[in-house]
Amino acid sequence: MTTSVREPRRTTPSSRWAWLRGDRLTTINLVLTFVIICAVFATQSQYFLTIENFLNVGRTLGVVGIVAIGMTLVLVTGGVDLSVGSVAALSGVVTSILWTKSGIPLGLAAVLGLLSGTLVGFLNGYLVAVVRINPLITTLASLSIIRGLAFVMSEGQTNQLNNDAFKFLGRGEIAGLPVSLIIMISLYVIFILVMSYTQFGRNLYAIGGSPDASRLAGISVTRHLLIVYTLCGTLAAFGGLIISSQLASSAPRAAVGLEFTVIAATVLGGTSLAGGKGTLIGTLVGVFILRVLDNGLTQTRISSFYQDVVGGLVLLLAVGFDQIRLKLTDKLGGGRK
Amino acid sequence: MITLRKATSLFLATAIIGAAAVPFAGVIAQDGECPTAQDSYVIGFANLTEDIVFTQLVREGIEGAAAEAGNVEIVLADNRLDGATALANADNFIAQGVDAVIEFQTDEAFGNVIMSRFRREGIPVIAIDIPMPGATFFGADNYTAGLLAGEALAAWANENWEGGADALLVLELPQSGPVPAARMQGMIDGIQDNLETPVAEEAIYLLDSKNTQEESFNVVSDILPSIPDAERILAVTINDGVALGVIAAAEAAGRGEQIMVVGQGADPSGQEEIIKEGSRYLGATGYFPELYGYQIIPAMIDILECRPVAPSVYVNHEFISAENVCEFYGETELLAEFCAE
Repeated sequence: MTTSVREPRRTTPSSRWAWLRGDRLTTINLVLTFVIICAVFATQSQYFLTIENFLNVGRTLGVVGIVAIGMTLVLVTGGVDLSVGSVAALSGVVTSILWTKSGIPLGLAAVLGLLSGTLVGFLNGYLVAVVRINPLITTLASLSIIRGLAFVMSEGQTNQLNNDAFKFLGRGEIAGLPVSLIIMISLYVIFILVMSYTQFGRNLYAIGGSPDASRLAGISVTRHLLIVYTLCGTLAAFGGLIISSQLASSAPRAAVGLEFTVIAATVLGGTSLAGGKGTLIGTLVGVFILRVLDNGLTQTRISSFYQDVVGGLVLLLAVGFDQIRLKLTDKLGGGRK
Repeated sequence: MITLRKATSLFLATAIIGAAAVPFAGVIAQDGECPTAQDSYVIGFANLTEDIVFTQLVREGIEGAAAEAGNVEIVLADNRLDGATALANADNFIAQGVDAVIEFQTDEAFGNVIMSRFRREGIPVIAIDIPMPGATFFGADNYTAGLLAGEALAAWANENWEGGADALLVLELPQSGPVPAARMQGMIDGIQDNLETPVAEEAIYLLDSKNTQEESFNVVSDILPSIPDAERILAVTINDGVALGVIAAAEAAGRGEQIMVVGQGADPSGQEEIIKEGSRYLGATGYFPELYGYQIIPAMIDILECRPVAPSVYVNHEFISAENVCEFYGETELLAEFCAE
């Protein structure tokens, strides 16, 4: 008979803090950054920490927040989608033209507007995954083509979309909370579950880490990329509908530069431009940081020129600190997670 | 702060208009003949861009006026909002042997180079909206255009808000230099000089609209929570689109009744908002881009036939409100129903 003596479990300092590595630490760093920014603005403006102001922040971050979900998925696979701003503009233009000029009911027109984004996303995905054109080139081209189409379809005009039911999407409230915020949070919950607890989500990280290894492991990279770009286009179009709803109008010039704000928020949230790394919780905090920064700087009446400088600096600092932390972790043998 | 901005923008506006004060008109020869006078003319028109309704209307007006004149052929080019393209277009005009050029381009640095080429060839130029050295200037009188809107808003506040306001939101475009700055200063002056009780300096909020509806929606959404007690808010905006963003933000915050807005342009999207029942868009100063050509083409023929033309020719601005919009745009499809009532 053999007996085995189990050694008492020793908790070393490194194992005690082992959970606090990788993405979790990045998220905690971001949350701390967010809290510090809020604290600074609270000392500068007595209205910053009011419920009304936070509801306003919630109302105005829905668009970037929703589009950033799709962008995170695409970046995790190692791609990028620069066409999201153009797609957002297109969905509003398609909706308004179908409603005002073709007499299609607004609800159906909005669905078709959304599907226009789905189609563009699918085409982007096809060109990237099947034809194998570089995602940067593909989506740079579609950025230009789709924006041009929006101008052609609208003849360069801003069209009003005055309909109370439609305006509810971007301006309405349920139980005191902005509808666009509720939708955004719901989408984050769904996609966080998908990314964390499904094979599909795990496959996206694998593809971003190494597409070739993923293929050898039996993952259909083509199918996954098609789905991801299609989702990104659909979410961008949905963001465009919220913009049109908030402004009660559609314009071909809408959402110019949205892609850069969304990429900034996503990267700020810890998603790697090289693919294989990133979380939606991080992206969500990144979106909040950028929006609160704009909100606080406007309320404290800082010149918009300085606002651009501060926004860029915060992005650099947050990403820079994260890189330094990762290097230190590697050096100390902690390994990356 | 406002005083300094006012002085700076007035100085810059004066400097720009001053730079354009030397017209490039036809020169009468010593024998009394006008060397540039002909039976018919080929005039090049390089448009700012074809992507904006405003500039499309300018082009249509120029083509219409040329057809009306009967002896003018227009050669078109698109500057695509780019100085290098404008220079290439200028070279093409010279190669095609045009008699005169109408330039609509934004780049000051390229403006100098373009004008030196035209001067060398003896080609007279009319510059639209953005002055070019040696060209006759035609375009908006930005300060006056702003003043008209500001005066109208002040008159409305005097009548409806007991001559005062709790806050003034200025949706400007600081990165675009002195031209829009003059427009904004005109609006501020129009309000402050005519309101029975001018808005306190600390209640004037300068906000960067970035010339988009979304950005004006965001910045106004951000500023409204910081002025919770303001129940009478005036807003002046750089154009119609920005005005629509301001109104949307106030409505989304449940404060639509507390704001009244004026803008610049009075384009179709603005007109649609102005005529709405209970609209918070009082009106906008009209620039009438569709009529530019009907002043420019006769002026250009005068230059070519050596008749005197003022160094700067300004658009006749009007403040467009629900009361008078039918006088100017009553025949358009958009307003047909409203104006028939």
